[in-house]
Amino acid sequence: MSDRSTRRELLGHCARGVGLVAIGGTGVYLGRRAAAQGLWQIDPERCINIRLGATGIEACDKCATTCVLALSAVRAVNEFSRCGRCCICPAYFDVTSEVGSDGLPKGKLCPRDAIERKPIGLVDPSDPLNNFYEYVIDEQKCNGCGKCVLACKEPAGLGSIRLEVRHDLCLNCNRCSIALACPEEAFAQREIRTT
Amino acid sequence: MTYRQVRIIGGRGPGPDQFETLLSGLAVGPKDELLVAADGQVRVFDPAGRLLRRWKTEKAGYCVAVESDGTVWVGQAGQIEKFDSGGKRIDTWKDTTRLGLVTSIGFIDHSVLVADSDDRCIRCYTSGGVWQNDIGKKNNTRGFILPNGHLDFAIDAGGVIHACHPGKHRVERYTRDGLLLGHFGRFGMAKPEDFPGCCNPTNLALSPQGDVIVTEKAPPRMKVYNGRGELQAWVGPEAFDPNGKNNDVVVDSRRRIYVADTPRLRVVMFEPEGAAPAGTRPATTRESVGR
Repeated sequence: MSDRSTRRELLGHCARGVGLVAIGGTGVYLGRRAAAQGLWQIDPERCINIRLGATGIEACDKCATTCVLALSAVRAVNEFSRCGRCCICPAYFDVTSEVGSDGLPKGKLCPRDAIERKPIGLVDPSDPLNNFYEYVIDEQKCNGCGKCVLACKEPAGLGSIRLEVRHDLCLNCNRCSIALACPEEAFAQREIRTT
Repeated sequence: MTYRQVRIIGGRGPGPDQFETLLSGLAVGPKDELLVAADGQVRVFDPAGRLLRRWKTEKAGYCVAVESDGTVWVGQAGQIEKFDSGGKRIDTWKDTTRLGLVTSIGFIDHSVLVADSDDRCIRCYTSGGVWQNDIGKKNNTRGFILPNGHLDFAIDAGGVIHACHPGKHRVERYTRDGLLLGHFGRFGMAKPEDFPGCCNPTNLALSPQGDVIVTEKAPPRMKVYNGRGELQAWVGPEAFDPNGKNNDVVVDSRRRIYVADTPRLRVVMFEPEGAAPAGTRPATTRESVGR
């Protein structure tokens, strides 16, 4: 009789222990999930300004015009390792504008004049085309309108310029206005996993 | 002068006369046959578009060239393979210090000229493979400016080298010793004779009659200039895929022009209006362009 009672008590203890572990695990899981930080990101495979194959289109400026911040948290970034350092950069110049006596287009593409063009090394006075040029984007001016990104995209350019969300500026709104306006659903919240 | 599209060779597919992944280089043989470097193979077509023969190469070919005796040269990454006209490998040139990405090969007398797109110059070798000099390195940028990553050239009957300089929007002429003889072309989006975008023209061929034929990207076009650099005709961009880049071009003895449409994995054949019809799908494709 006492042996049976002991076995029943043991089984009861085990069941209670398993139940407590399950409840605790579920609580920890739900707590971690609630505390997980999702960040808004631009999917380059979807963004029409960035993704390859989308040609002959107008630049989408939703990132610049729909962010709740006065100056959008999205910026254009030039990846120098991919930049061709072209003399006539289609992201810097408005290549459809009139060509000046120096052989360069007179107009600039960026509506905020946020790209700086500097020759690398000494300029050959007899032929300015004999040079590489560095293009630096001023993040204080850039509003992420995407015009330069589209102009630099393959095959017209090398695709060295892309759009990025600046997380030190982004308010990480639950209902991001850019994500709501993005026609390609390229603006999405991604969970950041830390190891 | 206008050109009409007369035939399409290849296209995407698994067939022996089709291409599956990479279409890169074209050449015309002594009998006007078309050689195509694609998918790690060389395919030989007759002008009617029929596959005559094909063979595999050790690495993917980025260009193909044919000597007057029929020897086929295939430019690859870091090496050049030589085959006889039947596809039997004769030799492989390897030069770890001077052969980067080989994107064009030409011949002058007893010299072999090789475009190295990695080092942005044309290498001059003896026919035995001994390096002699480089062409296009004596400038401020220490080589051709190639944002498109591709250097192409052709050699005329007088031994003058005509090379694309896409970063300068020019076609330049050099001697075998590397002396710049002259150039034509300038940047411009409005006039069809100018070269648009960041870097054009990308590829070049010379006809026996002295025409300079070039291809451009963004928008993709094929243009024909005379020897003085005056535009004679152009085709595009509707004839080619808008995402095409570095579309190789060759011309045969009858001025028939072949252009590689790389994204669509096909070769488009054009001939001058007024020439004897060579195809079944005549369609005038000349049109003005401008943005």
